[in-house]
Amino acid sequence: MTAAAASMGVAARRGGAGFSLGPALVIPATLLVLAFLGAPMVLLFRYSLNRYSPRDFMIDAVTFENYVRFFADPYFIGVLGTTVQVAALCTLVSVLAAFPVAYLLARTDSRWKSALVIAVVFPLMVGNVVRAAGWMALLGNDGAVNATLRWLGIVSEPIRLMYTPFAVILGIVAVVLPYMILTLQSVIESIGRDVEEAAANLGAGPMTTFRRVLLPLSLPGIIAGGTLVFILCMNAYATPVLLGGPQFKMMAPALYDQFARTTNWPFGAALAFILMTSTLVLTLVGTTLLARRMHYRKLDAAAR
Amino acid sequence: MIHSRINRRALLAGAAAALAAPHVARAQSGGRVIVGTWGGDYQDLLKLNIEDPLIKPRGIETLYDVAVAPPRRTKLSAERLSRRGTFDVACLSDIDMFTMSQQNLFDPPTEALVPNMKNVIKSLAKPYALPHIYSGKVILYNPDKMNPAPRSYNDLWDPRWRGRIGFADGLYMQVIESAAIINGGSPNNFEPAKAKLMELKKLEPRVYPSNEALAAALKSEEVYATIMWLARGYMWKKGGLNLTHAVPTEGATPIIFDKAVPRNAPNKSNGWIWMNAMLEPAAQLGFADRMGYVPTVTNATMPEAIAREISFTPEQQEKFVKIDYEYIAANNDQLLEWWTREFKG
Repeated sequence: MTAAAASMGVAARRGGAGFSLGPALVIPATLLVLAFLGAPMVLLFRYSLNRYSPRDFMIDAVTFENYVRFFADPYFIGVLGTTVQVAALCTLVSVLAAFPVAYLLARTDSRWKSALVIAVVFPLMVGNVVRAAGWMALLGNDGAVNATLRWLGIVSEPIRLMYTPFAVILGIVAVVLPYMILTLQSVIESIGRDVEEAAANLGAGPMTTFRRVLLPLSLPGIIAGGTLVFILCMNAYATPVLLGGPQFKMMAPALYDQFARTTNWPFGAALAFILMTSTLVLTLVGTTLLARRMHYRKLDAAAR
Repeated sequence: MIHSRINRRALLAGAAAALAAPHVARAQSGGRVIVGTWGGDYQDLLKLNIEDPLIKPRGIETLYDVAVAPPRRTKLSAERLSRRGTFDVACLSDIDMFTMSQQNLFDPPTEALVPNMKNVIKSLAKPYALPHIYSGKVILYNPDKMNPAPRSYNDLWDPRWRGRIGFADGLYMQVIESAAIINGGSPNNFEPAKAKLMELKKLEPRVYPSNEALAAALKSEEVYATIMWLARGYMWKKGGLNLTHAVPTEGATPIIFDKAVPRNAPNKSNGWIWMNAMLEPAAQLGFADRMGYVPTVTNATMPEAIAREISFTPEQQEKFVKIDYEYIAANNDQLLEWWTREFKG
């Protein structure tokens, strides 16, 4: 008995000698995430099952009526629809606008390259609200754009640019563009210039090279950047509030309204989970479709 | 071994002393008070008229938690079960303060705690908060553009002013109340406002996200008139906007900005000192001159010129619309939803 215990002790010590600290290093970060992200989310989900009362603030319950209310109400479905449309459009516009800039940044040998990268990153140093204030100064009725148009004699009365979907899309694209450019740039940089030269040698024009070589090879960057940008757009708050005005409703402002203005936390919590889930589902569907397309292209190329 | 233990103890004691030191210093100096307030002019005036002359000399440090009202309400609600809250003094409008008081969040003020309470205008007093400043809801309009001048809220429903009437989104309840009053409603029935506002919607009124955005629109003459606090109109006029005001024939509705001490205030006694200081006549008059708000105490006399601009005559005060806080608190949810979806949508 004693001997057995002693031998087990030795075995345990031997086992201990092989212990590595490496995996344990993830514990602090995991605990932080669990404490500051996981726990509040569990709490928020619990709130979303409660009932709202103007007098008592929140009544404990286990009901899905807040979720049912959302899906039964065309207004909120409309808000979610607007959010998805704006996010999708902004993602598309930012891919189209970012690609040429990213390509230029990736391929340039200019000594100004780092200055250009800083110029791209620079807007990230200014908060969304400040940037929206800048757009307000440009797009307002007596803003710079209208003043120029009137000075040129193109319009006599100012055209309404502020508080329109156009202003929101412009504002959001300006916010997310740097993320898209930087993601695409790093992927394009990893595509050897020789691949493009080989295509040109084989007689492909610039458009064919772009379509058949550059675009398929940069698809991982488009997927990564698109995912990042789409998530940011779905959750946009400051830009739609400041540039879209009170009439324009996206999900993040709508759920803020429920929390702060109506003090209906249960419904606000339900909106938060619906927004999170729909963002997750749409992102997964989008990336899966694009990744599958990428996979087929690879198979296609291999068959040739 | 013993040596090392003593060392550890000494270290612990030293650390405890170091941690306690700021508190000791603070206690000696009178401690601190945390005021949850709006920023901008309002905060400047709190500092200028209350903190600097009345609080600082007592060795009390004032910290401001600056935000608009909704986040402050949300914070008060979120902390309602905490032993220690954020604010020692919370500033809210009378409507918001009533809604919050329903959750039993505030300590009732007494004359023992706030000696200046005896001077508060009786009609503005309430059991859960103290009134700081007040004004009333009026029509603000551009006198060069609106002829004849509006006299009733109903005059804003005139096809001549199509697209020229603007509102601040934050004042949705006040706009709804105005529309209710001119369509057979009352302080405890705002339902008639809905039909009346849908009539106005055909005349394309503008709704702006903030008071500042509305001011910009009035300045650029994008809109000519709005429903707003007289005090704000006074400030805008001082800021160079071409505006004048009309007390509506239906009667002005008072707006009172209240302050309260939460039950879980971390420095409660300093909170009460602050509440008493804000009721000092000199502190009250500072807000009248720069912001156009009327004192809430009987012993602060305004200079004649300012009083003419910002106060209401006894006859106008007689006609004040009495607010039914209970009704508004119970209906805020559905009225805001209606405003967002039907009127603005």
